[in-house]
Amino acid sequence: MIVVESGAITDVGAKRKANEDTFYLDDEMGLYVVADGMGGHQAGEVASQLVVEALTDYMKRFGKGEEVEELADSDEALSKEANRLLSGIKLANKAVHAVSKSKEAYRGMGSTVSAVSLTDDTLIAANVGDSPIYLVHGDSIELLSVPHTIMAEQDALSPQGAKSLGKAFEHMLTQAMGIEETVRPDLSEIQCFKGDIVVISSDGLSDKVSPKEILEVVQEERPAKACRELVDMANHRGGDDNITVIVLKVKAVEREPAGFWSVISRTMGKLLASK
Amino acid sequence: MPTVTLKFKDNIIGEYKIEKGGNLTIGRREDNQVVVENLAVSGHHAKIDSVGDGYLLTDLQSKNGSFVNEQLVSSHWLKHADVITIGKHTLVFAYEQGETQTGETMGEMDQTMVMDTQQYRAMLNQSVSNLGAQAPEKEPLGVLSFLAGGEGEVELSKKLFKIGKKASSDILVSGLMLGQTAATISKRPNGYYLSYAGGMTKPKVNGESVKDTVKLEEFDVIELGSIKMQFFLKK
Repeated sequence: MIVVESGAITDVGAKRKANEDTFYLDDEMGLYVVADGMGGHQAGEVASQLVVEALTDYMKRFGKGEEVEELADSDEALSKEANRLLSGIKLANKAVHAVSKSKEAYRGMGSTVSAVSLTDDTLIAANVGDSPIYLVHGDSIELLSVPHTIMAEQDALSPQGAKSLGKAFEHMLTQAMGIEETVRPDLSEIQCFKGDIVVISSDGLSDKVSPKEILEVVQEERPAKACRELVDMANHRGGDDNITVIVLKVKAVEREPAGFWSVISRTMGKLLASK
Repeated sequence: MPTVTLKFKDNIIGEYKIEKGGNLTIGRREDNQVVVENLAVSGHHAKIDSVGDGYLLTDLQSKNGSFVNEQLVSSHWLKHADVITIGKHTLVFAYEQGETQTGETMGEMDQTMVMDTQQYRAMLNQSVSNLGAQAPEKEPLGVLSFLAGGEGEVELSKKLFKIGKKASSDILVSGLMLGQTAATISKRPNGYYLSYAGGMTKPKVNGESVKDTVKLEEFDVIELGSIKMQFFLKK
């Protein structure tokens, strides 16, 4: 069982008229989601809300402790829980795509999605788009999500080519929820430890605040205060976009349930230690 | 529909319109839409693409560069009356009277956009073609090779690989003090990481105990209970 302290804020920013970001936080379910919507005339708001609703509805159906049936097209490289999150995201994509075709005003609307799901002792991070998911472990901060932007993909192919593309491509996504019938989310599963901190945000934060600065703030402050500080930093530096941040601090990870052998080994351990 | 007027010194040589969704290629070669016959101009010098509501000028790695209002650019969102200089020629970008000029609000273009797949591929091909054939490197696959306690190799094909006493573990180990899941290896964007998961005994990497997580480097030796393995990357 993973025990966390969490906080979250969403802010319209200093320049935009509407907030097209949506977030979801549920400590009981261990599910945290940020979605950054895009599309004319506030269709972005519709898209991001739809992504969060569809995904969380799906995840709620698999309550804690229930046996989960094998999902139809599960990926062998992933655990059951990871497959579940992946399916949830794919389904949410279909939902947004369907709605986007229903009205002229919704045409071309889309959203990013970055989600973190906690299991008994692991953390699953999945994303489509460029909203970052960071893991702070000890004194380092690592990007768990894979940015689906032209810049990043070009950089992976050839760093030289990425430089020649120019600034305009920094925000262009190669994948988003709702744009095509299918999506290929990127996913990571990792062991969770006490003291680990996870930060999920929309690019309204990561564009203005560096990973090193995020590291410093979340190490210093408790989640709720850290969120406030990060949003303020982004707004002070222009606040050009909507800003959303979720911060989770892992307070405890209860590892193995007590069993016969573990009692014996604990006793033996004490005996050996006292010699 | 905006127009681009090609001039040499003060003489107007030609006028070209750019349709929404279309593009304009500029260069010395004849396969360009705007052919500029001058040795200071590269074969395929630059192009203007209609992207969403705006018009984007992109320099195609030309020898002498492309300038907008005398500033060297690699790519630039065009505003009404911008003067593009290519070699010794100038191209003036202008919206028609009364046309909505999105150049002013190009700040909004900082908003994340999603590329239409075909357009994306076309733009990428054009921008990257100059760099020659690009073969994307296949992600190397992590492999554990048994040094003791087992035979052969195990591919780290899962995102979270479990090592422990539990029957469902990906690698089974034996040892009184070991956990049902003793250690896990996760495949992250940055590489492979080994983590201690539970039990009385902690895994060792290169002789050092792993309290929580350590990034695996090639040839690292992992010891846990009955097994000893070496980590490799297979390309």
